[in-house]
Amino acid sequence: MRSCFIALLALAAALPAAAASQVLVVAGRGGEAQVEQRFTTWTQQVAKASVTVTGDALLARGLAGEKDADREKILAALRTAAQNARAGDRFVLVLLGHGSFDGTDYRFNNWGDDLTGTELRGLLDRFPEGVAQLVVAGTSASGSLADSLASPRRVVIVATKSGERNAARFGGFWAEALGSSDADKDKDGDVTAQEAYEYANRKVTETFKTDAAIATEHARLVGADPGRFVVARLGAAALFASDAQLGAMRTQQEGIAQRIDQLRAQKAQLPEDDYYNRLEQVVLEMARLGQRIDARLVQLGVPAGGSNDTR
Amino acid sequence: MTHAERPVLAALALGLAALCPAVATQAAPIDYDTRRAADLRRCDEQLHHGRVDAANACYQPLLRATSPLTRAEAAFALGDLRSANDLFRDAVAADDRAPLPRVRWGRMFLAAGQYGDAVKLFQEALERDKNDTGARLAMARVAVERFDGDIQEELDQLLKDDANLIETHIIASRLAIERGRYGDAVSEAQRAQQLAVQQKQPPLEAIALLATVEVMRERDPAAFIKEALDYNPRYGDMFVQLGYFNVIRRLYREADAWFQRGAEVEPESATTRREYGLNLMRLGRVQEARPHLVFAFNNGPKNVATENTLNLIDSLDKFDTIKVADPAMNLFLRKDELPTLGPYVETLMRRALPEFARRYGYTPSGPVTIEIYPDHDDFAVRTAGLPGIGLLGVTFGNLVIMDSPSGRKRGEFHWGSVLWHEMAHVFTLGVTQNRVPRWFSEGLSVYEEWVHGPTPGVNMTPDILEAYAKDLFLPVAALDEGFLRPRYENQVQVSYQQAGLICYFAAQRWGFPRLASMLRSFDGKVTTADAIRKVFEVSPEEFDKQFNAFMRERYSAYIADPKRWPDLMERAHRMLTAKNWKEARDAAQAAVTLFPDFTSSGSAYEVLADAEVGAGNAAGAIAALQSWRKAGGWDPTVLRELAALLLEAKKDAEAAEVLAAVNYGDPLVTEGHDQLGRLLLAQNKGADALREYQVLLKLQPADTAMANFGLARSYRMTGDAQQARRHLLDSLETAPNYRPAQHLLLEMTGEKAQ
Repeated sequence: MRSCFIALLALAAALPAAAASQVLVVAGRGGEAQVEQRFTTWTQQVAKASVTVTGDALLARGLAGEKDADREKILAALRTAAQNARAGDRFVLVLLGHGSFDGTDYRFNNWGDDLTGTELRGLLDRFPEGVAQLVVAGTSASGSLADSLASPRRVVIVATKSGERNAARFGGFWAEALGSSDADKDKDGDVTAQEAYEYANRKVTETFKTDAAIATEHARLVGADPGRFVVARLGAAALFASDAQLGAMRTQQEGIAQRIDQLRAQKAQLPEDDYYNRLEQVVLEMARLGQRIDARLVQLGVPAGGSNDTR
Repeated sequence: MTHAERPVLAALALGLAALCPAVATQAAPIDYDTRRAADLRRCDEQLHHGRVDAANACYQPLLRATSPLTRAEAAFALGDLRSANDLFRDAVAADDRAPLPRVRWGRMFLAAGQYGDAVKLFQEALERDKNDTGARLAMARVAVERFDGDIQEELDQLLKDDANLIETHIIASRLAIERGRYGDAVSEAQRAQQLAVQQKQPPLEAIALLATVEVMRERDPAAFIKEALDYNPRYGDMFVQLGYFNVIRRLYREADAWFQRGAEVEPESATTRREYGLNLMRLGRVQEARPHLVFAFNNGPKNVATENTLNLIDSLDKFDTIKVADPAMNLFLRKDELPTLGPYVETLMRRALPEFARRYGYTPSGPVTIEIYPDHDDFAVRTAGLPGIGLLGVTFGNLVIMDSPSGRKRGEFHWGSVLWHEMAHVFTLGVTQNRVPRWFSEGLSVYEEWVHGPTPGVNMTPDILEAYAKDLFLPVAALDEGFLRPRYENQVQVSYQQAGLICYFAAQRWGFPRLASMLRSFDGKVTTADAIRKVFEVSPEEFDKQFNAFMRERYSAYIADPKRWPDLMERAHRMLTAKNWKEARDAAQAAVTLFPDFTSSGSAYEVLADAEVGAGNAAGAIAALQSWRKAGGWDPTVLRELAALLLEAKKDAEAAEVLAAVNYGDPLVTEGHDQLGRLLLAQNKGADALREYQVLLKLQPADTAMANFGLARSYRMTGDAQQARRHLLDSLETAPNYRPAQHLLLEMTGEKAQ
């Protein structure tokens, strides 16, 4: 019998004053062996990718089954995460499996009594003020959670609209996004919740088109600034959290990126040639910085090719 | 036509629209039934001579006749179909046991094109009297109009029961024309005419059939036309018939002339205007078609084809055209597909047009137009006026209309092959000015797919060989019948394949130039039998004998034991599922040897490849899939697997070629374009890479940075530094930390990456 799986809390490491991230991934009950295996695989993928963000392998093993993912174990894990969180931290909860809606409340299908949306809300509200939360419900019938979990400090991603009850494909593509450079739209080595959501959403749409089938799920994202949640780091990007020089250069990158954003905001107002001339200057600056970053990575033993060159 | 499945037209099932009670417009066909009331006959006499006002004045009082059936017939003759419908219902209720009211009610539905309702009523009439000739003739008429199987036996029985029924001879004549038996057609039409004169019935339909035979024989029907118009100067139906028989022979320009004349003779006929408009659509003259279709819609009974076609015309502003001067072609695609599918269509057409011109010694006059519809129902309406047809592509002269790959389940059909097939029709129809027999045009199109198309290979399925083994293949001289009046469920599919095999055999036996020579011999007067004798210098019977020998030799292993192949396939799949790689491999290899032409989904080649992969033999897997491809396999998913194997084996050039082939099955997904683009760049094929990335960007990928970077590299390779810079900056605008793009920027600005 497979042991049950709860991906544990991962503590942020390294740089003092850096906000800690905790990630909890739960595989629900599958009903059939093949389906449960699928949920397990996804959960393991997400957990493994999450370690690149937390910097600490305090994640539970990727197992699924009756023993470790029943209702009491999930509740206990959420309480512990709330106790360990501090203001400024980030907490990510990912549910992968089947869900249902009984007309009043969402229910996550696990072993023992199903975990309801109301219970989830209660547990998430226990986290201290100032803890930014990301909830990803990659299950069927998860649509109602977008409303029941809505909060200014929470971003909620659900796989379905209300009323959509078919088994959801979204969870698998979410897991895929966390390991795919195709999901990293801005090629900074970090996959954000926004990027992962867009990737998974697109993939779901494509699969229905491929099958020439009517789409039976439509994902939604509610909440402000999902881009602030980094859900995976690709390639050498994980090193940025642990090396001071890289960390400093990352700060410089962020500064240049902000200037690019400001320039982009003026695009419609500037003459085209002027815009592209200015853009070229700024991205050249970024390119030179990239060379210095690559040089540092070589010193750290990362092969030449760049920190985010995952091709 | 390219056929995906049986070509069943959707049944019409709409209610009748009310018309202004109006003018008798020949909407009611001629009723030869001797049971027709004398009062009605008097009025009919006026109508059949074209004296419409007098006919109206005569029918009007009959709306108050004592006989309910007469009242109904009067309304029908006056074109008030809604009232007629109610009155026929009353007539049926007044005498439930009599077949005649039901037969006449059914005739009204038949005239309105509502076959389902018509047939139901005829069947009810036959339940009351199984020998009622009115009902039997009506059913025969339905079968003729719907190309519904073979009714010769029923016609023979009707003639035996009563040789003096005019309509029996008319239907028999019409069938004979379809089958090319013009002598028989003339005999039957002449007999119908004699009987009409004797029975004081209008001889108009009989004369129209005689005129039709003249046209079929490429002779001037003027004398018959004059005879008919002398009888009734407003007899537009004759021209509709002349047009119709030209349409079924694909002579759309010739049909246009007849429909136009019909509209001049009887401009108020909704039927004539509808057929005129629908044919103008076939000629690509969409704006000219519209007013005629609008007239038919406003003035005739509700017709699904008319309504659908008008709706389609109104939606065509979502499409646009790429016009190419040399070779001359117009590509008409929906605006969002023009930049993504358009480049591949153009590339294939640039290859197709000169190649076909060289092979067939013919250049189309005027541009070839390709219209591609993402919505299959739009395609169906565009071609037949009705949704739900089981076709993928249709050719009308220089106009090809087909489905887009986006309108079908991914990988369901190979649009490149469909286009190639239809292009062959453009040339075979053009060379012969549309006189080529149907079987031969389809046969050459299938042959072209197999030998020269984007996925060459003779594709065969077991059901075709089963049909052959059951002796269901037709003699070559009669093969047209397999298309026009199929007698068993998949006969049309079988006929397509048989026709392709015949052309394949003939090209092997006598060489393609002789096959092309046979094509050129068709001038409208030459039959298949004549052409075979003249070009191949054998009798049709000897030709069939040699073809059979070819079939027996090519498929000897399969034919020797037809149960062995499915058994091997079952075993191969079962062993694969059980991960018994050796047994799976052995069974699959044996299946391939037994029936190498089968490349459809789940083929033995695929099982063999999977078994080789399972056994760790990548080279074996590659060999299996390359053999599959050579035999005609084209599934995009399997091609991608082959490309992945080739890349792992560092055979990049071959992988690129395979990925390029995927675009003819599955071009509208983002997957694969970047991979192919990079491989092409590595081969210094900048222009081809540019096409891939341009298409990729238009497909709105998630990763636009990657697409723009690819475009930058491609433009740089093709020497367009300005565009290269622009797209590189677009890439970095989205992804400022994108390393490969940063390196290229440093290189282009002279700073060079360290």
